Amino acid sequence: MAEKKKIKKEKEPDITFFHPDLLEIPKEGLPYLKGYKCKKCGQLDFPKLSPCPTCWSEDFDVVPLSRKGNLYSFSDLYIGQPGLETPYICGYVDLPEEIRIFAMLKGDVNTFKCDEEVELTTGPIRKNADGLPITSYMFQKV
Amino acid sequence: MKLERDVYIAGVGETVFGKHKMDYDELGRIAAFQAIKSSNIDGPGMIGSAYVGNAHNGIVTGQTIFKDIGICGTAPIINVESACSAGAMAVHLAIKDVAYGLTELSMGVGAENHTLRRKSGTAFMPAMNDIEAVHGGVMTGKYAMRATRYMHETGATIEDLAMITQKSRRHAKNNPHAPYGGDYSIEDIIDSRMIAYPLTLHQCCGVVDGAGAVVVCSGEMIKKLGIEKPVKVRGSVVTSGPYHNRPRDITGDDITEMTSAMLYEESGIGPKDVDILELHDAFTIAELLYYECMGLCEKGDGLKFLRDGLSTYGGQCVVSPRGGMLSYGHPIGASGAAQMAANVKQLRGECNGYQVEPVPKVAMSHVTGGGLSGTEHAACTMHMLTSDW
Repeated sequence: MAEKKKIKKEKEPDITFFHPDLLEIPKEGLPYLKGYKCKKCGQLDFPKLSPCPTCWSEDFDVVPLSRKGNLYSFSDLYIGQPGLETPYICGYVDLPEEIRIFAMLKGDVNTFKCDEEVELTTGPIRKNADGLPITSYMFQKV
Repeated sequence: MKLERDVYIAGVGETVFGKHKMDYDELGRIAAFQAIKSSNIDGPGMIGSAYVGNAHNGIVTGQTIFKDIGICGTAPIINVESACSAGAMAVHLAIKDVAYGLTELSMGVGAENHTLRRKSGTAFMPAMNDIEAVHGGVMTGKYAMRATRYMHETGATIEDLAMITQKSRRHAKNNPHAPYGGDYSIEDIIDSRMIAYPLTLHQCCGVVDGAGAVVVCSGEMIKKLGIEKPVKVRGSVVTSGPYHNRPRDITGDDITEMTSAMLYEESGIGPKDVDILELHDAFTIAELLYYECMGLCEKGDGLKFLRDGLSTYGGQCVVSPRGGMLSYGHPIGASGAAQMAANVKQLRGECNGYQVEPVPKVAMSHVTGGGLSGTEHAACTMHMLTSDW
């Protein structure tokens, strides 16, 4: 603990969790994605769009999104972003709330299929400036 | 864009594409000066404005290109960025100046050097403030997911996709501007290394450098310049991509469907009347989907359109007669302007060794831009050109 405090004094540590607006990892229970429902027109979005692009309201209710969805499409990536280890897998997951999520998929290459059920999980998606893993949402086979 | 008065293309220029030691400004200057000379322009004072498309090469790119050409200090030079659409967008803005009487003659240039700066072996990606980019998103992956879904829904195979590369590179075999032209077997293409399943290396545009340039002018000016083969701008459309996070059909492309419909309306020319087309074939799957999105054929008939030879020489619409991005590579700020330069040369019958016969009269170009999450593409620019002599 003492060491951590020391680092803080020298420089603000880079985040190890991608964004609190996106994902909740409760101490007890399962992680969920946070949808944002416009209080004025009812539009539901993920990620949060502010103002609401439809009615320009800036008030939202946070709605936990379904943890399971349909893998609409995917790709096994052998050439990726600079600094990311390959291969890794990305996909579009369609949730029952009519929201499409782009995410990394946890699992092996050559194993995913379109239209299979996947569920939310969490894991390291990349490293931050301090070389520490950044945790965010991912999906895996049910 | 409604054209308030007639706009013509007087001249065009393009560099050889490939890995260059010359930076973007030198490439841009070569293309721009070619376009100027082929337009019979006799001095810098005739150029009313210039727009320059570039994506990655830094600041004041246009002024850097044009400093030797003598219009710094005499004409506004405006730099344009919308990823892959930048070069065509620059030409669109030049057309707008002439169409609305702000200038009599303007220029659009696209120029880009990637290889002097970029580390090889990595993929292009959206900016890091994009939620998909943070989660590993790359452009190859975005197109690969379209291919995966298309194969899932239609039963198409990687071999089917590879036919697009085979066709385009055959088109480019005798095109000295295209570094990747040649005869490739389907095996050559599918056995090249996997980049993003199901897209193999030869199904992806190469990372190269290059430039293209287009000079546009009024009807009065085209006569004054004594241009024998004026090319008329029949339509020029720029759109931004519909933004939402709801499921969408990625075997279609909402922005391309919207932009092509607007271009057909504006030009009064329908998809079946287009003789040649340069489109955003950065990856094989894109071309296949765009046949359908642009209405060259019915939805679901893209593969048949390809197999029946309707998109090659002798077919209904020769798609990528220059070889497209799959044969040129794709310096992202340059491609849109270079596509238009190539189309003008086809309309004028100047493409020795890769000329479409009979010489085409109607040429369309299409280039999308950017991988902004929530859109299929952040931008799309399309042009319709006809011969007018």
